[in-house]
Amino acid sequence: MSTAPQGSHSLAFRVMRLCKPSFHVEPPFRLDPADLFVGEDNFDDPLAAANLPPLLSTQLSKSMDSSNLTYGNRFHLHHPSDAMGFSGLLLLPQSFGAIYLGETFCSYISINNSSNVEVRDIIIKAEIQTERQRILLLDTSKSPVESIRAGGRYDFIVEHDVKELGAHTLVCTALYIDNDGERKYLPQFFKFVVANPLSVRTKETTYLEACIENHTKTNLYMDQVEFEPAPHWSATVLKPDELHPADSSSTGEIFKPPILIRSGGGIHNYLYQLKFASPDSAQMKVEGTNILGKLQITWRKNLGEPGRLQTQQILGAPISRKEIELQILEIPSLINLDKSFSVHLNLTNYTDRELGPFEVWLSKDSVHEEKNVMINGLQIMALPQVGAFGSSDFHLNLIATKLGIQKISGVTVFDTIEKKTFDPLPDMEIFVESD
Amino acid sequence: MDGPSPTTDPLRNEFGSLNDLAHELASLQDLALRGSWRSILDKVSRARSLDLLSKPHDHLIYLSYNVLALTKLRRFTDASAEIDSLHDFNSHQYKYESYPQLYPSRSGSMVPFSLRFIHAQLPFKLENRQEGLDRFYLLLSFIRQKIKEKGSNSFQESIKIWRKRENFVLHCLIGHHLGAKDFIVCLDLIRDLIDHDYLDPVLISKLGYIQMQVGDIEGAKGSFHRVETMFNEGKNDGYSSLSEVEFRNLVNRNKALIYLVGKDYVSAVREYEECIERDHTDVVAVNNKALCLMYLRDLSDSIKVLENSLERVPTVALNETLVINLCSMYELAHVNHSEIKRTLSNWIAGVAPDDFDASCTRA
Repeated sequence: MSTAPQGSHSLAFRVMRLCKPSFHVEPPFRLDPADLFVGEDNFDDPLAAANLPPLLSTQLSKSMDSSNLTYGNRFHLHHPSDAMGFSGLLLLPQSFGAIYLGETFCSYISINNSSNVEVRDIIIKAEIQTERQRILLLDTSKSPVESIRAGGRYDFIVEHDVKELGAHTLVCTALYIDNDGERKYLPQFFKFVVANPLSVRTKETTYLEACIENHTKTNLYMDQVEFEPAPHWSATVLKPDELHPADSSSTGEIFKPPILIRSGGGIHNYLYQLKFASPDSAQMKVEGTNILGKLQITWRKNLGEPGRLQTQQILGAPISRKEIELQILEIPSLINLDKSFSVHLNLTNYTDRELGPFEVWLSKDSVHEEKNVMINGLQIMALPQVGAFGSSDFHLNLIATKLGIQKISGVTVFDTIEKKTFDPLPDMEIFVESD
Repeated sequence: MDGPSPTTDPLRNEFGSLNDLAHELASLQDLALRGSWRSILDKVSRARSLDLLSKPHDHLIYLSYNVLALTKLRRFTDASAEIDSLHDFNSHQYKYESYPQLYPSRSGSMVPFSLRFIHAQLPFKLENRQEGLDRFYLLLSFIRQKIKEKGSNSFQESIKIWRKRENFVLHCLIGHHLGAKDFIVCLDLIRDLIDHDYLDPVLISKLGYIQMQVGDIEGAKGSFHRVETMFNEGKNDGYSSLSEVEFRNLVNRNKALIYLVGKDYVSAVREYEECIERDHTDVVAVNNKALCLMYLRDLSDSIKVLENSLERVPTVALNETLVINLCSMYELAHVNHSEIKRTLSNWIAGVAPDDFDASCTRA
């Protein structure tokens, strides 16, 4: 990761990423003497049951006595939970790992004098270089390090909140005077790439469903996911019922199950119900963009290592100027094969002017699907004009030619004056029975 | 029964010493405690070739030590083959009652339970995690069935032992699920134990560590608070019996972790120092204190802390994790770190048990 400097230098930079350490876990092969010295059913024998335990506990305490200088702690279990192999021992990060937008990059930097002479007046600088900018993390120009003796070191720790994606370079430079009185310049570069940790997809009607997908290599604990609605909206988060209902049992107080998103593509969905903040904001429905708000996400990784991101403004479906609305009001409960049935529909005019006259038909847009439900009679139905803000009820006579679950699909309305075809009604399922 | 037999003769205690339990068991045990696993392989091989093992249970116990030694030496395929040579743990040839002349008043299985455990854990080392999990869950039902049987016969001591084994297997499972990052399963298994009134402060602390590992810091604080309350109320369940020093250190170490997570490394170091003052063999406190010093930019002292513990209490401090940490520190502190790592490796070679994984020095 580091590019070697040219020429000979007394100094060299050593760098180690200091993200949080991790707990070491490895279930060991450690045994209870009772499970080794005798057969497993031995204790059924009352003689054994009486005489073995003292023998065993002597053995155990012998093995655990540290003054005995044995490695009994690698062989016997001192405590039942030793079997887990999870003692609380922490392990330093063993590799640079992946780094994501929203995290804090933290690094231990050590400048070593591996020569056998002293160097003086060391000006040390550490910067992060990205495509867009150069960020200074450390600069000792105002007060240079007086000297670093032979075999000595000067250490520092730098931190940087990662706000850009892509290639980053940690540039460490030292300007110093070596033993010959010569001024020397040592640059060293450590490259890393910042990736996107999450993607957020949203789907909205008056409900906003946000699906968060984890692109990182570790599980992410969702510390806080909050939806900040735009001014004219109010939002409530909808949560499923608890699997283990909150009770006063011993564990209820300890923890609620955490929301963890699996690494490498795991997802978790959040659901928000959106309402207009006040009755008059309904009038604020501006045509075109419909800003709903933003999602604020704070996550935690290993040992609470935090990261945070805010999404862009989430847009709702653009408010189409809904001119007319077609709805199915009623379908008969019993529909027989090859027998005509009547469907009750309603057409509403949301504009402030008279619209129509209209034509209604069943479109044949799905090429591969047979139409098993058709209009019985004239294939195009004529509807008279509908006045401003008015509505009109009508009936369509349909007939089904196949049994079982079928669809009424492609009910389309056409304005004969404005020559405008409106989007067809969504498919409606019906059940067709035999006579 | 005719005439006095060994089991009813009050002058002969069948359980007086280890050698009463199996041929030269004391010697095997001594080698195992020192970590001289290669010597154990030699001893077993010798005993077998010289036909020194007269009874079926001797063979089984020697086989157990042999399998364990192979495992410790990381010869997992060999260990697996040897266990498989028994074919079926439940076979009548491993039951006391099949040899009434040798075991006149005894019945039941003479298979040491360790063999079942090793049999379940080996697949994990042979890259077959699913098989390992299946074996552990089957072992769990086997144990629960045994507990029911013993219960109906009211073998009190036996029930106690089997319940201990049940907890043991549950803990193994939690460890394996934790290693595979199945955090929700771990939390559920622990929750289950706690809900059945298994209130072990060490287990509850480990619950806290898992919550912390996952990022649920508030949850971890709750768990640690519970442990501290248990300490203050003098509670200590029958299973774990922590000494007072161990309990105090546990509480301090938990506090230290909260400080560490909040980046207050100075306070964390203080907590660990209290632990070490109380018990200089508290290797978790020593190791974690060294890490905190590093996060405080004091690499020199962090190295000293680890080196001192190795020198002072080698049989307690010498573990692979501590050595890996020390070597990471060497790599940071020295441009030419191979020399100092070689010195460490040489020292380890002279002191370490056979099962120590020397590759951890990356020398």
